[in-house]
Order: sequence, then C-alpha cells, then structure tokens
Amino acid sequence: MEKVCVLGAGSTKYGKLADSIADITTQASVAAIESAGIDPKDIKAGYISNVFGVADKQVHLGPVLMSNLGISDKPSLSIESACGSGSVAFREAFANVAAGFYDCLVVTGVEKVTHTGTEWTTTYFSYCSDFFYEGQAGASFPGLFASMARAYLTEFNATEEDFARVAVKNHENGLLNPKAHLQKKITIDDVMNSAVVASPLKLYDCCPFSDGASSVILCSEKFAKENGNNYIEVIGSGRGGSPAALQGREHMTTIPSTKIAAENAYKMAGITAKDIDFAEVHDCFTIAEIVDTEDLGFFEKGKGVQAVREGRTKLNSDISINPSGGLKSKGHPIGATGVGQVVEVFDQLTGRAGARTVKDAKIGLTHNFGATGASCAVHIFQSV
Amino acid sequence: MSIKEQLIEKAKEGKVLTHKCTQCSQLHLSNVYYCQNCGSKEFQDEILDGTGSVATYTIITVPPAGFEKYTPYAFVVLQLDKTNLRISGFMAKIATPKDLPVGTRAKITGFDERGIIIEKQ
Repeated sequence: MEKVCVLGAGSTKYGKLADSIADITTQASVAAIESAGIDPKDIKAGYISNVFGVADKQVHLGPVLMSNLGISDKPSLSIESACGSGSVAFREAFANVAAGFYDCLVVTGVEKVTHTGTEWTTTYFSYCSDFFYEGQAGASFPGLFASMARAYLTEFNATEEDFARVAVKNHENGLLNPKAHLQKKITIDDVMNSAVVASPLKLYDCCPFSDGASSVILCSEKFAKENGNNYIEVIGSGRGGSPAALQGREHMTTIPSTKIAAENAYKMAGITAKDIDFAEVHDCFTIAEIVDTEDLGFFEKGKGVQAVREGRTKLNSDISINPSGGLKSKGHPIGATGVGQVVEVFDQLTGRAGARTVKDAKIGLTHNFGATGASCAVHIFQSV
Repeated sequence: MSIKEQLIEKAKEGKVLTHKCTQCSQLHLSNVYYCQNCGSKEFQDEILDGTGSVATYTIITVPPAGFEKYTPYAFVVLQLDKTNLRISGFMAKIATPKDLPVGTRAKITGFDERGIIIEKQ
C-alpha cells in the first residue's frame, strides 16, 4: 500500500453564499490546488461529495468542475452518503491512491441549500433517515438526535445545560475561524432560552444549514516529496456501519459505526485514542459531540458529559475537540463537511490555523457520519 | 402483497409483522432479507402484539412538510413487549415531556400518511 498524503487544502467561507454550486465547488478546488502548488494537469481524477445538488439545479458536478479546471478529459465521480458524503469520498480517493491507481487526486465536497428555506431542508434531510420508520413518521434530523439526547438524559447523569456547554465551546472556537458560519459568542442561557426545535434540543443545540465547499489534494508520498511543498500524511483510515434506523441499535446512546471506523483507523495507524492531539468530530447537534467523544475512545461511555462540564475538550485543554468551531459554529454544508474537517487538520498541522492553533499538535483525527451515524468514516493524520 | 404492504396491514390491526430466523431464532422486523446474526435467508412470519413501552422519544416543534397541522407531536421509539425489538412511529398531541415519560406504556394503533401510529395505552 502506498503512503497517502494531503498536499493542499482550501475552503470557501461557510454560510449563506450567493454564488452557484458549480462556482463554489470550483473556488474551493482552486484554493486547494494553489495551496498544494501544483498544476491542475497533475490531477488524475476528481472525487465530488454532494447530497442536494438538485436544490441548485446542478447534479453530476464532477465534469463541470473538471471542465472549469481545464482538465475536462479527466474522470470524476460523485458520492452521496448523507452528511458523511465528504469523508466517504475522501476514503474512496485515499483507497485509490493507496492502491497505486492514481498519484494525485482532487477531493471536493459541496452543498448549497440555504436559499431553499427551513421547511425544504428539514423535509429533504429527513429523506436521509430510514424513511419508512423515521422520516415518514415526522422525524426530522433534530428529532432523531433529540431522541438520542432523551435516551442519554435517561441513562446517564446529564442535564440539558451540559449539552449547552458544547455549543458555547464550539462557538468560542468558531469566533477564531474567519470562515465559520456562526461567528457569535453565546452563553449557556442563550442556548437554554432559544426556541425548542425537537425536545430536548433547542435551536442553539443545532448546527445551521450552510452553503460551502471544501477541497483537498490527495497524493502519493512520492508525488508529495517531488512537489516540495508542506504536506501531512494520512496514517489511518477506517469505515463502519450502523443499523439505518435508531430503533435497530442495541444502545441508543452510542453510534456503532463510529466505534468500528475508529477501531479500524487506530489499528491502521498503530496508535490509540490517547495519542490524538485534537479531533474534528461530527457535532451536528450538541448531544452528538458528547456521544462521539465517547465512541471514539476519548472518554468512557457516560463520561463525555463530565469532560465537557470540566472544560477538558476546550481548545488547548486535555484534548481539543472541534478547534474549527465544528459543525455547530463553523457550519454544516452537508456534502462538504467531511472534506472541510480534513482542511482544518491540514491547516492545524501545517501552521495555518492562526489564533485557533492547537499547540504542539502532531496527530489529528477527523470523524464524520451520515444520518444518525448509519455510515461513518474516521481518518487520522500526522504532521511530517 | 409486498412485505411492506403486509406490515402496514398488520399495523392497522395493532400488530407487528416480524420475521423469525428459522436457523438461529433471531427476531427481526420484516424488512430484512438475510439474518444479521447468522446470515440465513429463511424466515417464518411471527405476528406480535404492537404493545410496549416508550424507549425514547422527542417532541417535534419544527416539523417537516405535511406535519404542520399536527405540531407539536412526538416521534416515539417503542420497545415491544417480550422481545428485543423496537419500532418507531408517530404519536399525536404530545406537547411537553411531562406528557410522555420514558417507559410510558404505548401501543400501535394504525398506519396512515404519518407512518406507524402509536398511542398511549
């Protein structure tokens, strides 16, 4: 297996964007190409992650991107795995470079939905659930995670204020990220007093619907060394699955796919959770970050909430969780998110993260899932 | 009649159509074609009472399209009696968590455009 490296990375701002989905896909890809210091003609293929291109009247984004980059002869494909699309596309690109099929690829994730409004997004996102049992019965995504939150409150010593602390922390980090969607300091009271979306989750427990695109250049170690620019190495890649519907899981306060993906990624990297300096985890809702940090092995089951209460997941504390601001503050353009997490790790490990830099970080982890964690990918990166 | 249509028919009678693996006896909801436990594809129908207790739930106040007129309502995960199976559905007229403590006895009472309908017992 070839060693695989990330040679460049770039994102648009996340938020409400005026440009078309094709334009922001291209803008992020150009930023990644320039960051890598390569010529587009070095790219052998394109991997695009996107869920609702139909909302901006453009699916089959790959050939549009490749044409805009002046490499219309190069192959491309689109991958949809709900909110986990970005990390799944990254994984497929990783596998192709590792297998030696390609030495340089562009992986670009994108979403553009904010123009459709809350009802459209709530409805269409619910199609990512196990629709017969969940979406059809009126379960929104906030509702499904609220069901996990209710189970967590029932099973463990936790309060709604504890969930709010996750939002407050991630907004603090997002304030230091110029590309974040919600750059606003908030308090526990702000969260507790925000409108209930799906009890016990309130508006400020939820990530926003965002537009945005993120892109990375993935290549073989040989290609990275010849290029001469800064790069980071992908040392672990793991995937896993869970029952599609919450009802099918033995415990509703854990996401099986996260545990399986993490186990595989740690095994490939030859490390454990203790070796991770910082992690970008899938905090689509505050409860999700708590569950994730337990399933990834950073804290025991039921103890993630205590870690948040004690401030152990803040920037430059025991383990910096979501230094970018996470989905909660940075934003969640669903097809882009998994790639955007890699952009953050690249920026952190190559000294480009500015005020939100995790000090002396050498090893970063990304964790991204689709739906309520029905599909999941975990990747581990190391500075070179 | 497709399996899904049979499941819907049974839900309308307050029952749950399940598939019991003939090899290992593992019970599944009827949408599975292979046993997760042993990989067998031989099942026999088993009809369960749609009764149980609320395993978890949420009260939705920002609904997807088509649910505005029912809001607020609960989405419920029901732990079925005497099995390890759970099934999800819609419960009308739940406004606050006081209305539906976890563990509340509930049962399937029908199926319509809101999916499987669950009511308190």
